[in-house]
Amino acid sequence: MIEPVQLPDAAALGPALVLGLTALVVFVFDSARPHEPDRGLLAGTTAAGSLLALGVGVWYMIAGVGVPEPDGAGVISLFDGQLVVDQLALFFMLVTAIVTALVAIASYDYMDGHAHQGEYYSLVLLAATGMATMAAANSLVTVFLALELASLPSYALVAILKDNRGSVEAGLKYFLLGALSSAIFVYGISLVYGATGVLQLDLVAEAITGETGQHVLTGNAHDVAGHDGLLGVGIVLLLVGIAFKTASVPLHFWAPEAYEGAPAPIAAFLSSASKAAGFVIAIRVFTTAFPVEATAGLVGFDWSVAFAVLAVATMTIGNFAAAVQENVKRMLAYSSVGHAGYALIGLAGVGAGANELVLGAALMHLFVYAFMNTGAFLFVALAEYWGVGRTFADYNGLGRRAPIACVALTVFMFSLAGIPPLGGFLSKYLLFWGSLQAGMLFVAGALVVNSALSLYYYSRLVKAVWFEEPVTDHGSLAQPVGLYAALIAAAVMTVVVLPGFGPIADSALDAATAVLTS
Amino acid sequence: MSTAWIAISAMALIGVGLPIGMITLSSLLRPSVPEDGKRQTYESGEIPTGGTRFRFNVQYYMVALLFVIFDVETAFIFPWVVTYRDALEGGPSVVAVLAPMLAFLGILIVGLVWAWRNGAVSWARSETTDWRSTQNQ
Repeated sequence: MIEPVQLPDAAALGPALVLGLTALVVFVFDSARPHEPDRGLLAGTTAAGSLLALGVGVWYMIAGVGVPEPDGAGVISLFDGQLVVDQLALFFMLVTAIVTALVAIASYDYMDGHAHQGEYYSLVLLAATGMATMAAANSLVTVFLALELASLPSYALVAILKDNRGSVEAGLKYFLLGALSSAIFVYGISLVYGATGVLQLDLVAEAITGETGQHVLTGNAHDVAGHDGLLGVGIVLLLVGIAFKTASVPLHFWAPEAYEGAPAPIAAFLSSASKAAGFVIAIRVFTTAFPVEATAGLVGFDWSVAFAVLAVATMTIGNFAAAVQENVKRMLAYSSVGHAGYALIGLAGVGAGANELVLGAALMHLFVYAFMNTGAFLFVALAEYWGVGRTFADYNGLGRRAPIACVALTVFMFSLAGIPPLGGFLSKYLLFWGSLQAGMLFVAGALVVNSALSLYYYSRLVKAVWFEEPVTDHGSLAQPVGLYAALIAAAVMTVVVLPGFGPIADSALDAATAVLTS
Repeated sequence: MSTAWIAISAMALIGVGLPIGMITLSSLLRPSVPEDGKRQTYESGEIPTGGTRFRFNVQYYMVALLFVIFDVETAFIFPWVVTYRDALEGGPSVVAVLAPMLAFLGILIVGLVWAWRNGAVSWARSETTDWRSTQNQ
């Protein structure tokens, strides 16, 4: 096997580079025949590019990029530490690549007959490039740039059905709120910079823990303790920006609007990959730049407690709102808010003296969630493709008309609810166990209660599909190849994740350990 | 510290006070002769046509965006050109100095070609905006 060490260091960004280059290739293909685009070629290139990125990521992982020196290739730091490729980065690059591939395959059928094919696929790839870069960003500047690279194409993608009022409205809402939260985030960055004098995450941590009264880089007089208020406000603003990106509670209200109006594959893309990318930023910024005790001593509050409060509020509000929805896509949108709450437990555990188990469980949950949530939204895409309608009642009796797709839907729903034989159960169980070990009894209790509640509305959809009588029966439904392939792939992975849980759990735990000890 | 703030406050006071004072003074001194002709948009006698709120052709924005491509290109090429010779003498190979800029230009050229092929520079008449009617209003 070729050692990645022999490649230039920049090759460590392989997955992100492959995604970016594929976007350019799609542009070239679309330039060749702009007015009668070859849908198969564009979707195929996108899927092939994301699978290649996935392959490169898996290869790096096996070759041991990010594993400490004696066993692996070590953490690769690029551009003076502005970007860093470690296990956490690779883990989330894989998640991004998987979701992008599923979305590209499903979009082949979904976008049939729509204009702007070339734009669609290249924007998906550019957003994926941004998300993969977010995974590797190690400085507040690169974090922000990558965040914008992921966000700007997303706004356009939500509004890509230009003649559909819902899509345009969703795009506008998403854009306005996104711009607001980006402004808040960048203001937070400026305050943290003002207080510490540095932007690179590990140097920020050094400035906070050091208390030397000197600037970390220049050695001039610079007392961080004198700017504790500035630092505190900056941290809160960063928290707000991240809460927007992950659709967590104070800033979750854009999610149902944007997902409902967006094309369903894009809703899947945003609610899985974009959310995971938001989490990798949250994990890296907070665990690397703001060591819990030192920061709490300086600014007077413990950010992990803030994450615990956010986690409980997010999962409770998300699940209760999901339980009363009549529109399936809105239900899934609120359920994705609820799942953001589960993943936030990982960060809440950092301060409670938990070991890497809680954070690792959160990473695993995001990994499993990438399959089951993407799959669930792709089923909605399939329903929109059939044109059966949007509410629970419209889904009545689909089980008889399209049994294979509905088996997949059942798998996704029960996995999202956390029923034992499926992938979603294990990650939730580990989150529960980890938070119990860390002594976060209240958070663990909220997790159990919310999971039980979520079973109600997930099984309601399953019941509608299998047991309710259809209002009008039109016989069996079409079986679009791309959508079915993506749906079945996601369903198979949701099931296979369980026997294959060992390596995934290992890499998630390794990633969590690495980011906590660094 | 404090003297600097006094200077800034004084400048702010003068900055706000000067125009207000001038307007107030001239309104006290000037004769008041109300007349219809003074209320028109163009006192030169030009009669305004139509409203101000009509839609601009979206292609103005297309041109503006294409301009940004070249603008950013210039902003990055210029410092690169200035340091090019020094960088070469510093030791790195021609490839190491030239390749990043070529890659950057390549990305922009792909974007430009794509926009060109998709009709961003062909000045087609808009079907939704009737220019004759906006002129006759």
